[in-house]
Amino acid sequence: MVVAGRRKSIAFFIALGVGLISVIILLYVGGVLSYWRSGILLFLGVLLLALIISGVVVNTTFLVREIRRNEQHNAFINAVTHELKTPVASIRLYLETLQTRAVDDAKRKEFYRIMLDESDRLLGTIEQVLRTGRVGAAGRKLSLAPINLGSVVEECLVRARTLYHVPPESLAYLPGPEVTIMGDPDEVRAAISNLIDNAVKYSEREVKVTVETAKADGKYVSVRVRDQGVGIPQAELKQIFKRFYRVPGQLATRVKGIGLGLFIVRSVAKRHGGRAWAESEGPGRGSTFVLQFPIVK
Amino acid sequence: MNCILVVEDERHLAEGLRFNLEAEGYQVHIAETGEAALEVLSAESLAFDVVLLDVMLPGKDGFRVMAELRQAGNFIPTLMLTARGRPEDVLRGFAAGADDYLTKPFELAILIARIQGLLRRREWLRASMNHEAPNHNTADQANHAIPPPEPKGTFTFGEKSVHFDLLELRVRGQKFPLTLMEANVLRYLIQHEGAPVSRKAMLEDVWALHEDTDTRAIDNFIVRLRRYIEDDPTRPRHLLTVRGVGYRFVALPAEAG
Repeated sequence: MVVAGRRKSIAFFIALGVGLISVIILLYVGGVLSYWRSGILLFLGVLLLALIISGVVVNTTFLVREIRRNEQHNAFINAVTHELKTPVASIRLYLETLQTRAVDDAKRKEFYRIMLDESDRLLGTIEQVLRTGRVGAAGRKLSLAPINLGSVVEECLVRARTLYHVPPESLAYLPGPEVTIMGDPDEVRAAISNLIDNAVKYSEREVKVTVETAKADGKYVSVRVRDQGVGIPQAELKQIFKRFYRVPGQLATRVKGIGLGLFIVRSVAKRHGGRAWAESEGPGRGSTFVLQFPIVK
Repeated sequence: MNCILVVEDERHLAEGLRFNLEAEGYQVHIAETGEAALEVLSAESLAFDVVLLDVMLPGKDGFRVMAELRQAGNFIPTLMLTARGRPEDVLRGFAAGADDYLTKPFELAILIARIQGLLRRREWLRASMNHEAPNHNTADQANHAIPPPEPKGTFTFGEKSVHFDLLELRVRGQKFPLTLMEANVLRYLIQHEGAPVSRKAMLEDVWALHEDTDTRAIDNFIVRLRRYIEDDPTRPRHLLTVRGVGYRFVALPAEAG
């Protein structure tokens, strides 16, 4: 409902811009046809007209962009509210249950496990939000150290396997040659973990993810995370790296997220002089995310 | 046994709710999507007594589920239970047709109290519908001054009678028209005959106002009603002021002096 309203206002401002421009052109053409003799005035008029038109165009562009940003910001607030409050609600509910009711031992153990899971989830969201602030701050320096990329990838995979309870063959590592990069270990780990988390989250039924490291052009090393999941429409391949952005539609409500993971991946890549991008043959056909870092000689 | 439909896609939360509600003696059914909830409600509309509805659901969200349910004529008591607590969200929930709205995280005891409140309201409504027909209580039969077979919607006291359905007050053959609100105020006072009624209670029950409205607005109604039903409005005998509280209606005052 709200989104539809925004779409309407975007359409309205575009229509207003186009309408204004056509009115100006019409009036002007009419003017020129009736007073074609006064040459200098005509020239000045053309200049002024061009200015006015570009003003209207710029104004419309910014308005539309602002409305879009607002829309994303709203969606982000809703998602963060949900991701922060739901685990707290869950933990609270189980604590109150344990406090007020007689619970047998097996149930009690299960409740403890659920509460731990939920507090991990809460911590994950908090870290993601805080990290966005850190990688987004231009002035903040990296604490660079030589990193063995292969061992960081393995570390991330081990973490993900325990977190999502999947066997090694579902979350496989295909190691390439040993490479060392200069980087902030914490940030590199976060970026790779985000890609693996996404691959698992967006694998609809069976988790079948492979992570591969390989040299590219001799100067770079790429980490390729490939899944057999929901895939990405062509038009969204670039959008998804934007801050707060989530692919609109059913999927965003089915798979919970706050729209920061890939933004962090791209920011980390940029800060390390590398790149990050996504490849997909389309919805339902899986996707591959590539993260490139420069190799240290 | 009362049966509750929990519409919640967060499995941990749903299971926690199930455990507690079952411990309270309710039967619990969980639906993980809005579509599933609508389906089960349309298939077995009478199987459930209360719905707990989350907002951020996969597919149709809670607001839409609520609105579609009401449009389809299903008025099952529904409590929206959601993380979204901004005023616009709460208002949207009520506008969609929710009966109650509670934000997560919530206190278990309060959630259960609210569920009980919804169930109780439903029971009261049923009870009042069943008892509408036999309107006359035992007091009527005991008091022979008032003839027992009184037409519905009429109340007689002394030489005066109020005809609620005609919006009319008759005093010794003379007719006074009443406005709807005057009639409602009078009916409310008569229902609580003999007991003091506070201005606030009247505002809430007659006008359905819950804000801190100026309760003195009621006094104007009382002044008008006294003009109709009192022989001497400056020395009321039926509509008495209870200082610091409100008013009290007395049908048959003891003869003064």
